[in-house]
Amino acid sequence: MRNRLQVQLFLLDNLIWVIVLLFFLINAFVTPKFATYDNLVNIFYHSAIMSMLVLAQGLVMIIGHLDLSIESTLAFAPGIAMLLALKWIPGGLDPVTCIFLTLAVGALVGFFNGFCIAKIGVNPFLQSLSMLIMLRGLVLFLVPFSIFPLDKVYVYAGQARMIGNIPVAIPIVLVVFLIFHIILQYTPFGRYFVATGGNPRASFISGINTRRVIIYAFVISGLLAAIAGLLAAGRQGSISNSMGQNMVLLSFAGAILGGASLEGGKGTPLGMLGGALLLGMISNSLNLLGVGVNLVYATQGALIFVAIVIDRLRVKFRGYLLHQEQVQKLLNREKQDPNLTATV
Amino acid sequence: MNEPQFALNKEVNEGSALRLHNISKIYPGTVALHNVNLDVKKGEVHGIIGKNGAGKSTLMGIIAGIIAPTGGEIFVGNKKFEALTRIVAKKEKISIVPQDPQVIMDFTVAENLFVADYTCRNGFLKWKELYSRAEEIIQKNNLHFNVRAKAADLSISERQLLLVLKACYVEESSIIILDEASASLSQEDEKTLYRIIEERKKQGNTVLFISHRTDELLRVCDRVTVLRDGKSVATAKCADLDKAKLSSLIVGEDLQLITVSQGRFKPRKGGADQPVLSVENLTRLGIYQNITFDLHRGEILGLAGLRGSGRTELLKGIAGIEPVEDGLIRVENTSRRFTTPSQALRSGIVYLPEDREREGIISLLSVRENLVLNSLKRLSRGHLVNQRREKEFVSSIIDMFGIKTSSPEQEVAHLSGGNKQKVVVGRIASTQPKILLLDEPTKGVDISTRESILAITRDKLSETAGIILTSPGLEDLIQICDRILILYRGEIIDEFMREEFRESDLFYAVQGIKRPGIKSRILKTGTVN
Repeated sequence: MRNRLQVQLFLLDNLIWVIVLLFFLINAFVTPKFATYDNLVNIFYHSAIMSMLVLAQGLVMIIGHLDLSIESTLAFAPGIAMLLALKWIPGGLDPVTCIFLTLAVGALVGFFNGFCIAKIGVNPFLQSLSMLIMLRGLVLFLVPFSIFPLDKVYVYAGQARMIGNIPVAIPIVLVVFLIFHIILQYTPFGRYFVATGGNPRASFISGINTRRVIIYAFVISGLLAAIAGLLAAGRQGSISNSMGQNMVLLSFAGAILGGASLEGGKGTPLGMLGGALLLGMISNSLNLLGVGVNLVYATQGALIFVAIVIDRLRVKFRGYLLHQEQVQKLLNREKQDPNLTATV
Repeated sequence: MNEPQFALNKEVNEGSALRLHNISKIYPGTVALHNVNLDVKKGEVHGIIGKNGAGKSTLMGIIAGIIAPTGGEIFVGNKKFEALTRIVAKKEKISIVPQDPQVIMDFTVAENLFVADYTCRNGFLKWKELYSRAEEIIQKNNLHFNVRAKAADLSISERQLLLVLKACYVEESSIIILDEASASLSQEDEKTLYRIIEERKKQGNTVLFISHRTDELLRVCDRVTVLRDGKSVATAKCADLDKAKLSSLIVGEDLQLITVSQGRFKPRKGGADQPVLSVENLTRLGIYQNITFDLHRGEILGLAGLRGSGRTELLKGIAGIEPVEDGLIRVENTSRRFTTPSQALRSGIVYLPEDREREGIISLLSVRENLVLNSLKRLSRGHLVNQRREKEFVSSIIDMFGIKTSSPEQEVAHLSGGNKQKVVVGRIASTQPKILLLDEPTKGVDISTRESILAITRDKLSETAGIILTSPGLEDLIQICDRILILYRGEIIDEFMREEFRESDLFYAVQGIKRPGIKSRILKTGTVN
């Protein structure tokens, strides 16, 4: 009985991976060419950029905030870095510096967001909304035409392939997720994130510098958006001003599917990876089935709704399971000693 | 009083753990604290008492580094501070357990204990060690928490105790502030708290103990400082004080203390007519079973029980907030089973939440808006609210309950705890319900507020309604109830009539000890008169 409960709880807590697996199995039979090696690599590759945004959004959601600006940062960070390297700094920059510059720009955008929200007390929705629009506008202004060709080193992360024709983007993404999973699960720094989202006041009283945690979360979010930008620029071999457009809403879908909640304090990076994969698999399978692009978009929107419903059901079902377990315990105790309740 | 010692301008005496010098806190519009002086010795339990709004919580917030003072100096040991931040205060080994237990719901009990002070090796958390250390702390205090359970699964009393353990054994603070920590504790946990305080004292730690209950303060503390209207009025040894002296210090004049005044009780005709509410075999598995009783119009029925006896859950069950699983609820002869509070409300059942901050008030709204929340229909013609009637209505409730507010338009968030409670009671009472379920209405309020809430319950509310009342202590119930039901582990095990009320008997009863000679007494209630 207890073992069964533990299995049930384990499955519930990792529900997203159960869904990913089920979805995969169904498609393996229904969708032609779905379960081929090339297509699977393809799914991972195409999910890489989105998964970085999902992680960025998810981490901010864990501290109980949200960040709309990540999709603009995705284009802004590599855009600024490249402009510096090609136009603004005479003599140019070597591509490795350029990569670090990209990441730094992303982190700076995040720092600005976090600073305004934590220190000045701006509402995170409005703050990141203004950044979303402002950065996109700047990118449209500064990068009216695509920048290409890019240096080989710069596009390496997004373009190169290794043994088995696997794009290096895939291991990069997996390692990033793993690192954040470990940070959130096994370091005080990471636990402060979860604590701050779970109950900011309790965390504050416990001596956590909650404002600093908020700033860090936004910095990391900007950084991850810049990594996503790097992957995106690499994949298309250029920097265009429309990179990342409309991705932020789906990043919410992925994060919520991965267990995050707008209330904060919930979700794990590995869950979010599952969420991002599910998004990628759905659009892939619909593409293979010949469904139109716009309908795929609608389906992904519906997925946000499904994610929320699933989350509520999961909470309810979890409560139900624990309740059943208690009832069973009580019944067992009564069976063993019918007088028990009368004698206490 | 025996020469209250002021801690003014004395040189830093040896053994002083904490000294406040002329601390002030000015909020826009109000002076919360004015030149408060406080000298707390090392290894003493120092009580802080005062009426609602006297500035106790503000003062504690300043010491703990949560609130920045407007002026004054803070000496921790020999170090001088203008103001503390929470992080500095924590470094100085100052911990606070705030009024409302602040835990992280999704974290386990163990992690809640250790949050911010994790045990690490090479920067990585040692979960196993964390759990075993938490287990150790729980065991040492003879408690029965499952360290792997979520904090959300604990009762409020247990959460409060958890935070006390955190302050004492994890943060190992030398100055521990307990801001009305005992208010939400069950009697059993209260004893644990006293034991912990005693033990901390022996270790040479300092405890600042805030409470509304004079008897508790006199029992637990070595010295006590009285705050009145934001000023420190006196500091005295508890040995030199008694309840009456302390109370007069708090109130400010030599007022005759109204205690459990049997003389004031006017006999009423409880239960002459048909019951307004009768419940049969109410059950929610594992929480309460086979609850059967009647409630009559004009009757005040007390529900006494320890933590975990299911009293709050039972009231919530009747009110449809956490619906009952089995059984019958009859309101004026129509059987009903409520699954939402609004259904219960329509049948005239109103529930006063135990957890007022979360369930009772909407703190962003004004006093007026909170008060009329349940009465808007009555105050409107068509779809529009009649402004004049609303104003009259609000001011009549403010007068009746003596709510201290600068204006009806003030936000409830800015009121003191006791006044918040009055707003909740006022809002609920004003709906003229048939059945009032009052879940600990006197929790965390001062003596005079408590008296006025009880008086209003007895004299005004019970005129038109049947009332079920619970309370953290037995005193309230003894003072105004007509009948007390004893709830023990989810079952009604005894029933006391007014003439049988004796504190010791009741006290034993709630511990589950049955009175001799009534073993076969069938608890067919409704046998009043």
